[in-house]
Amino acid sequence: MATDTSENTFRVLDPTSPQSIVTDGMAERPESLKGMRIGLLRNDKLNAEPLLDAIYDVIAERFEVASAYRINKGDASRPAEPDLLGDFSNEVDVAILANGD
Amino acid sequence: MTPRLTSDYLELPGPLEAIEAYFEKSWSDGLPVVPPTPKAVTAMLAAANLAPDVILGIEPVKGAVITAEKAAINAVMAGCKPEYMPVVAAAVEAITKPEFNLHGITVSTMGAAIMLIVNGPITKQLEINSGVSTFGPGYRANATIGRAIRLIVMNVLGTRSNDGLDKATLGHPGKYTWCVAENDQALPENWSPLHVTRGIDESDSSVTVVSGLSATQFGEHEADTPEGILDAFAQRLYPMGPSVKQVILIICPEHAAHFTTAGWKKEQVGQYLFENACKPTSEWIAMGFPSGAQKDSNAELTVENDDEPISVLDSPESAIPIVVGGDGGAWSAVIPLWSLGSRSKVVTRPIITKE
Repeated sequence: MATDTSENTFRVLDPTSPQSIVTDGMAERPESLKGMRIGLLRNDKLNAEPLLDAIYDVIAERFEVASAYRINKGDASRPAEPDLLGDFSNEVDVAILANGD
Repeated sequence: MTPRLTSDYLELPGPLEAIEAYFEKSWSDGLPVVPPTPKAVTAMLAAANLAPDVILGIEPVKGAVITAEKAAINAVMAGCKPEYMPVVAAAVEAITKPEFNLHGITVSTMGAAIMLIVNGPITKQLEINSGVSTFGPGYRANATIGRAIRLIVMNVLGTRSNDGLDKATLGHPGKYTWCVAENDQALPENWSPLHVTRGIDESDSSVTVVSGLSATQFGEHEADTPEGILDAFAQRLYPMGPSVKQVILIICPEHAAHFTTAGWKKEQVGQYLFENACKPTSEWIAMGFPSGAQKDSNAELTVENDDEPISVLDSPESAIPIVVGGDGGAWSAVIPLWSLGSRSKVVTRPIITKE
């Protein structure tokens, strides 16, 4: 496709690559949080835990949720391990993530 | 047969218009780039005997692929000579190793740069500066090889600060370019150069990548013993907190000479600092490390163990000394790693030349 300069044009190449991230879009939303098991996934940062707890307190006050399930992915700079996410998803109905720097 | 390049291209009236177009598209680091013509990119690939579609590395978190063609385009833009391409290729391989944590170090608010340390015969062939003003300007190889890696991160991985993923609070000038050679002429007697310490044959060349934060330079003009010089180093290590996992010690030639005089081995540097650069827990807490001051990553410091001395280094091997700089002046430096080395490790890869 790309060849050298032609008589009347100066041809230069694109240095970028298409980004490879593929997303699945938004997860399906539940009609209500009543009776739901709420997952709270923190990113190992200092303020992630109090932030998630504060959000959970508001939710628990407004809805009759079933339980809270808290885990820490353990490293803010890397994605959670697939096994950890698999176990997490088995324990919860909805999940809230926080990056509390 | 000329290898087939597959990148999209722009057609413009001339080089000056190309330079402006690359600014407009946020494809530059803020400085003018050399327009990457197919001819120049082909020459870059040929110098390293690389086909355009060879994969030099895959960034592990996003799965972004860095091909030889994209690396070569950015190397041309940076101003590299074709013969620099083997160093660029080895550096791409190094920064995409999972233990380097490229995604983390380039998007984080901590704002690390990628420091390249080149060792071996290629440093002379390419004239990579290791002497006077090592970290300063004036040498094409230093300036353009380091810049090529930054442009690859910006353009191929999309990690830009103006409209991309780079969220550094401060950053530092090393994010434009940061490439040096070790000054092997100034190494203390019987010290191995960095690449040999890290498992590469002395006759081979290598590149070592470091997620470097801003360097702290210091003068120590009176001490003439290894102990005195390393005590001065310790004072610059303490602000990092205890149990630093990896840190680069930049030893200038004038300081290095005192290690020769005293007959010190290279291994003694880390051993001395590990054993002597210690503070009791209470002092670490007083310095502001109540939760960061940890003997290990799972144990917070408490007043119950406040008399226990904790070293600034996690182990003797945590100190990684290199010798760089000009002959005159007793100025050395420490370079902390992103996350103090806990989540980004120094990586060394051999440089494969065409022969």
